[in-house]
Amino acid sequence: MGPFALTKWEATLSNYPIFLEGLGTTLIAAVAGLVLALMLGIIFGVLSTASSKITRGLSRVYVEFFQNTPLLIQVFLLFNALPLIAPKAVIPVVVVGILGVGFYHGAYISEVVRAGIQSIHRGQLEAALSQGFTYVQAMRHIIIPQAMRVVLPPLTNQAVSLIKNTSVLAVIAGGDLMYRGDSYAGNMGNYGPTYIIVGLLYFLLCYPLAFAAKKLEDKQEVS
Amino acid sequence: MFNWISPDIIALLTDPVVYQALLRGLGVTLEIAVITIGLSFVFGVLLGIFRFSKVPVFSQIATAYIEFIRNIPLLLLMLTCYFVAGLPSAAAAILGLSMYTSAIIAEVVRGGLNSIPTGQWEAARSQGFNYVQIMRHVVLPQAVVKMIPPIVSQFVTVIKDSSFAMAIGAFELMYEGTILAGQYWKATQIITIYVLIALTYFVINFLLSHLSRKLQTKLSAGRGTIGQ
Amino acid sequence: MKKKVLLLAIACVLAFGAFALAGCGGTATTDKSDKASTGVQAIKDAGVLKVGVKVDVPGFGYKDPKTNEIDGFEIDLARAIAKNILGDETKIKLEPVTAKTRGPLLDNGQLDLVIATFTIKPERLEQWNFSTSYYTDQVGLLVKKSSGIKGLADLDGKTIGVAQGATTKDAIEQEIKDKGLNIKPKFSEFATYPEINAALESGRVDAFSVDKSILLGYVNAEKEILSEGFAPQEYGIAAKKGNDDLTKTVDDVLAQLKSSGEMDKLLQKWNLAK
Repeated sequence: MGPFALTKWEATLSNYPIFLEGLGTTLIAAVAGLVLALMLGIIFGVLSTASSKITRGLSRVYVEFFQNTPLLIQVFLLFNALPLIAPKAVIPVVVVGILGVGFYHGAYISEVVRAGIQSIHRGQLEAALSQGFTYVQAMRHIIIPQAMRVVLPPLTNQAVSLIKNTSVLAVIAGGDLMYRGDSYAGNMGNYGPTYIIVGLLYFLLCYPLAFAAKKLEDKQEVS
Repeated sequence: MFNWISPDIIALLTDPVVYQALLRGLGVTLEIAVITIGLSFVFGVLLGIFRFSKVPVFSQIATAYIEFIRNIPLLLLMLTCYFVAGLPSAAAAILGLSMYTSAIIAEVVRGGLNSIPTGQWEAARSQGFNYVQIMRHVVLPQAVVKMIPPIVSQFVTVIKDSSFAMAIGAFELMYEGTILAGQYWKATQIITIYVLIALTYFVINFLLSHLSRKLQTKLSAGRGTIGQ
Repeated sequence: MKKKVLLLAIACVLAFGAFALAGCGGTATTDKSDKASTGVQAIKDAGVLKVGVKVDVPGFGYKDPKTNEIDGFEIDLARAIAKNILGDETKIKLEPVTAKTRGPLLDNGQLDLVIATFTIKPERLEQWNFSTSYYTDQVGLLVKKSSGIKGLADLDGKTIGVAQGATTKDAIEQEIKDKGLNIKPKFSEFATYPEINAALESGRVDAFSVDKSILLGYVNAEKEILSEGFAPQEYGIAAKKGNDDLTKTVDDVLAQLKSSGEMDKLLQKWNLAK
């Protein structure tokens, strides 16, 4: 019996609730992770363009640490070290995953935001400041809306990577799509159909976003 | 809470076996990463040129490949190379990573090619250059300069992503570290090993991304921007 | 154009699947016709025995960070089989496997044999060939002494760390049913044993459950293996389904080792004798 025998497909497909549950967890982790990553990315991105050396340094340290170590080791550390630092607080595994992808992609998004802000000519900021805007007001009303255009395509790409990277939950028993698939495949030996189904589901989650990113990019290239 | 400078931690930090194992793992990680970048550069440039080209079949096939690869997790690609293609673990890791990375590099290449103004194409064509000649003598030399920084930073990504190869039994840094951690019992010791692994990745990648940024500022010097 | 690209991308997914199907289905069928009768001959032709072993189970199969060599009871068994088939016990190629990877690697022909604390189970007999048992073990529970857990009955609502692709979870659930216990533990699956141990140490899981001999590698002053054990686990040497002459050869080697007393010596060498 080959690994792609018809009976294996039947068995795998009849266990669809396993995949749906996993998909649900993956979606939760992706949405919450994205919100966290956006918040961190905007905060540190703005900080990295501020005039204060301290905030720039802080932002640099954050970006360097998270961009230069694998997500896998960050998640292992969070998973095993958090209970030691706070033994009373039981943090669910999904939350570890959300923190993991949130902080990791926050670092990338902060670089995207920084590039977006820096794409606006400095004269505009000076002009706004001279008109009596505060730094925050100038950022909010003048710089960020323009920067958004530059920022959106790479941001969407980050969202795609984030969705895929939630599969890191599989290594800490996070109950996501990859974990459920792996667990099912391992127990029943139906890894052939399982991996194809899991791959297809990830593709369906990611492609619309990737497509949107592509469209935004094309639009920019035209203008 | 707990004492970090405990005898357990000192015993671990002074054990040469720890460093031997980590260095051995780092060697394999770098080996995988270097071969991957080499392969991905070749395939990525080809794919990027295909996608950029106006020949419908070529550009559609390249686009479909890139879109497909970019939208599924790397881990799944590696597992497939390992189980389905039946390659040894390190080779499967390299193939999976290369399939993935060449799609990313193809996009970098396309971006680089797009950045060359169409006027240059027209000028070259009017001088009697054909497509291949324009690519080789006019467009690529300029575009490659723009591609270098993102490709160097992609190297960092490959080094990090190679940690997934642990799942298919390649003895790279992450796996060597995990097996090493199996020798120790105390939670603080295990965490120390994880920290050592993270530090090893950090040092290598920090140097590389520093290099990438240096290249970038060198290549895009002279723009008045906010904050710098 | 965009629609075309989407269609092409989907076609790519399907092609990917078809390639997988053709690749594996193909080897599976040819193997059934040729290799089934020439399994041992194929190894002789290759001149090397490819064996999947554990690298994180001290005593059975462990890659010692000090020596960087994979060694253990199961590796010695592999050597004995290589000696029988090829006349040279060094002609083995060891490939690290986990509970998750060992099955697929047999199916795709990367391995001739798996000797990796692989329990013989009826479901598994449908997928792979198994030799007679070379070691009997029980599923056990490793807990922190400070947790106060004294038995399975104390694990209601607690999390048990188990290995991916292992039979532990089923065994525990069966035991709960057999004993009529009214408890509902949660399970977390991990790829490697060191990861489960780390999760136990950090308090992520309350018990580490796997075969007792594997747990032995992780005992220290603060942790204990509960005396309670259940679901006898018979370890067998697995080969591809239908590779009957290879399994027969393996059985012969095992019988020889047992009758000559060599097996007991090996068990003693690795501290596995009971």
